[in-house]
Parts: sequence; structure tokens; C-alpha cells
Amino acid sequence: MAIHFDKVTYTYQPNTPFESRALFDIDMTVADGSFTALVGHTGSGKSTLLQHLNALLLPTSGNVTVDDITIKPDSKAKAIKPVRKKVGVVFQFPETQLFDETVLKDVAFGPQNFGVSKEEAENTAREKLRLVGISDELFERSPFELSGGQMRRVAIAGILAMKPSVLVLDEPTAGLDPKARIDMMRLFESIHQSGVTTILVTHLMDDVADYADTMYVLEKGRLVKTGTPAQLFQDVAFMTAHQLGVPKATQFALLLQERGQHFEQLPITRAELVKAITEVANHG
Amino acid sequence: MDKLIIGRYIPGNSLVHRMDPRSKLLAMFAFVLIIFLANDVVGYGILTVFTFLGVALSRISISYFLKGLRPMLGLILFTVIFQMLFTTGGDVLFQIWLIKITTYSVQNAAYIFMRFVLIIFMSTLLTLTTPPLTLADGIETGLAPLKKIKVPVHEIGLMLSISLRFIPTLMDDTTMIMNAQKARGMDFGEGNLVQKVKSVIPILIPLFVSSFRRADDLAIAMESRGYQGGDGRSKYRILKWQRFDTLLLLSLVAVAAALIAWNRLK
Repeated sequence: MAIHFDKVTYTYQPNTPFESRALFDIDMTVADGSFTALVGHTGSGKSTLLQHLNALLLPTSGNVTVDDITIKPDSKAKAIKPVRKKVGVVFQFPETQLFDETVLKDVAFGPQNFGVSKEEAENTAREKLRLVGISDELFERSPFELSGGQMRRVAIAGILAMKPSVLVLDEPTAGLDPKARIDMMRLFESIHQSGVTTILVTHLMDDVADYADTMYVLEKGRLVKTGTPAQLFQDVAFMTAHQLGVPKATQFALLLQERGQHFEQLPITRAELVKAITEVANHG
Repeated sequence: MDKLIIGRYIPGNSLVHRMDPRSKLLAMFAFVLIIFLANDVVGYGILTVFTFLGVALSRISISYFLKGLRPMLGLILFTVIFQMLFTTGGDVLFQIWLIKITTYSVQNAAYIFMRFVLIIFMSTLLTLTTPPLTLADGIETGLAPLKKIKVPVHEIGLMLSISLRFIPTLMDDTTMIMNAQKARGMDFGEGNLVQKVKSVIPILIPLFVSSFRRADDLAIAMESRGYQGGDGRSKYRILKWQRFDTLLLLSLVAVAAALIAWNRLK
């Protein structure tokens, strides 16, 4: 399911003394089935932009098209509700949104809001909880008894239970330990493989290089660069100038380059780096 | 929630900004009392001039004050209309059945309206020009004499400054949680009363939970930085009473005196 932004601008608190513009003429397309990464410095408008993806914010001008629904500045709440089902958003620190008595009820909350029956919602909830790695004996526990990492998994299961066709992730691994981070990114990768369009907002260039196929760079509310990670990370000067940096593999390749090793194209993942070095070792 | 002007602070460096919060608080308190002395055009005239002088001195655009008035407009109109309907006496302007609009009622309604506007303008002036923490400091030192009768002044001041500091944070949390629940298909402000009340639960519970957690973290962080209560603490922000503060209080005394004199003369 494709998402298309057409000249979207957004202004916070328009016509007040506190007016501030957060997005300027955003034209962006998220292709069906893609894994899109959205990167930018803090305050570049990433969060504002992702709230447009499921109509939590309506554009001040321009419009957003999700599948066959157009979100316009004057769209009515009823007309955009289906968008929320199609586009599931995992906000930063999603564990703060848990509220129900049991883990299972909390996960089943989402689908029930979209008219799914209680039994069906709970069945989906069980399935998704197992998918994110929560074992059955925790289903009837209070979400507040769980550890931070488990709470986050439950919160993510709560979004997945709505069976969205687009999954938006706002720094999903922030504050997790390295192992949990890798596990979680692998989970998202497998969900993406099952046909869910994924949009990832992150500061971690390694994750962008490892998982994304399209990349957008946002700065001060404007899209300044678009392309595949492989293309964008070639321009090391640009990425460094925008305080985003490049993946570790690319940094290492740069150090080799300083010592006289030439690369046709800078590797961006560890696998590519290994391959490039092996080639050098074999041929010269 | 973003549209709320009351309680916001707008940085600036005007005369009013630089004044001591204690004098401003005291003046605000006195002003509310003084406003009841005014009961005719001259009285309200004097107070209006006084208020607008303050607004002008703060160098903050009048539009902020008018915006601050907006959320209260319903309450003001409600009171004004009732005042108009239930005041008797004076010449009848027009009459429908039992409802009489008289010169007195119009006059009274106008005075009530002015009273509201002036009080709101003054309190907006106070909050727009005083950073919340300074305000809390002002209240704490202002209450200091109450220590003698065992009122825990330091604790009140501390709780006040912590609450003030966390208002914006909690507001951000609320918006964040509301957005997260909306993304899960929650509708707010729809359906009948029961549904509306029920829809508050998914916001309130996470908000309480995060407040408890924050309180815990904050208490630990404060203890580990050596906080042991109010005794023997020194102060970083020291309030300074200046000449203009005395001038403000004197001018209020003058206004009050003028109003009393005018009421006697009539």
C-alpha cells in the first residue's frame, strides 16, 4: 500500500503568537512493500511528518494519500479513521501507552476499537504476543509487572494486533540493550518480509544500512535528500555535515581508503565490507 | 492545550519583567481587593488606566492578553447576562414578559464585565512576565513569616516549583499518550457520556503510572544530590526588591486612596 505526500506543509498553532512551521512542501512517496528510513537531526520535523502518516495531524496545506484515502486539511474524523487501521504507528517509548488490567486485554484493545469482536481480538492478541516473544504465562499478568523490554514488546504487539499494512516505527530500539536491539530489528525485518510496508525513523545509521531500501533525509522541515542508503552514504561529506554520519562499515572503509585502498563503491554494511576486503585479498 | 495563554511565560526584559515577583504577587492580590472599591465610571476608569499602563510597560502585544481572555469568555458572558436579567431598578429600557432590561442592569453588567476583564488582564500580566520558578520563589519567601506558626513553607515552595516545572512535561506526556491511543483506534469526545468517561481511562492510567515513576526517579535523583530538606540550604536565585517595586505598591495605595476618596465625595 503506497503512501504519497503532495506538497504537504504543517504549521503548529497557526494564527497565534506561538505559530511555528514544522514542514515545508514535503513531496514523498513510500512505495508498497518498501522499507523506508527517515533520518534527520533532532527537531528536523520527523515526528511531525510521521504523525501525518496516520492522520494524527492534518496537513495545513497539501494532502497525504494513503492507498485510496486522501487526507486533506479539512478531512473529517470519520473519513480518516480507516487510515489508522491501515497504518500502525509504534511511537517512541511505546511502553508508556499500556493501561489495561492484563497484557492480553491491552493488546486486544486496538482491534476492538475497529469493531473486531472480543474473541477474535484476543485470538489475534495471543498470536501477536507469541510473535514478539512474550510467553503464554505472562498473558494474564498486569502489564505493569513486566520488565521494560517486555513492556515494549507488549506495546508493539498491541499495534501489530490491528494487522496494519504499513508499520511506522519511531526509534523503536531507543534505550534497549544491544541484544534486545538486534532481536527487535530482526523482528521488524521478518514482519517486513511478510509483506508489511515499513517506515523507520532512527538515528542509527547502521540500522538504516542494514535494513532500509529507501532513505529520506529531513532537515529543518524540508526533505533534502532521497535515495537508497547505498547511494546516500557515498556522500560522506554531506552526511557528516548534517550531523547524521555514516555506518560503521563505511567509516572503516574510509580509514582504509586514507591508507591507499580504493573502493569502487563504499560498503555500507559489514557483509559488504567483508566482501570488498576479500576481493582485494584475492585479486590484488 | 497549546492554545492556553494563561499561565505561560513570555521572556522579555521590560520593567515589569525585571520586577520582584513578591511585589507583583502582592500587587495582584491587592488589585483584586481594590477592584471591589470601584463602583462607577470614574472608579473603573482609574483602574483601566492603571491596568493598561502595566500592559504598556510590559511591552507585550495586547493580542496575548486578548487571547488569554478567550477561554474565559463563556464564563464572563454567562455572569454578565445573568447580572443583566436579575438586576432591578432604574428606567426600563425594554421589557419582554417578565424580563426587564433597565439602565441599572445594563450598567451593572458593564461593571461586572470590566471587573472580569481587568482581573484577567492583571493575572495574565503577572504570569506572562514572571517565570514560573521565580513565581514559586516569590510565594515561598512571601510565606516565610508563616514558619512561625509551623506551616511547612519550604516544602510548599518546593512542591510548588516542582509542580510548575512538570506542568509542560505532563502536558507533553498527555498529548503523546493521547496520540498513541488514537493510533490504536481510540475516539475521544464521541458517543454518550458513559463512553466518553470510559475513553479517559486509557489516558489517565498511563499518565498516573508515568507520574509515579517520575516522582520516584526525581526523589532518588534529589537524594543522591544531597537534598535533606529545607534546613540549612542556601539559595541560588536571590530576589531583589528594587525601587520600582516600592513604587508599584505605593501607586496601588494611591489608587485605593483615590477610589475611597471618590466614593466618599459622591
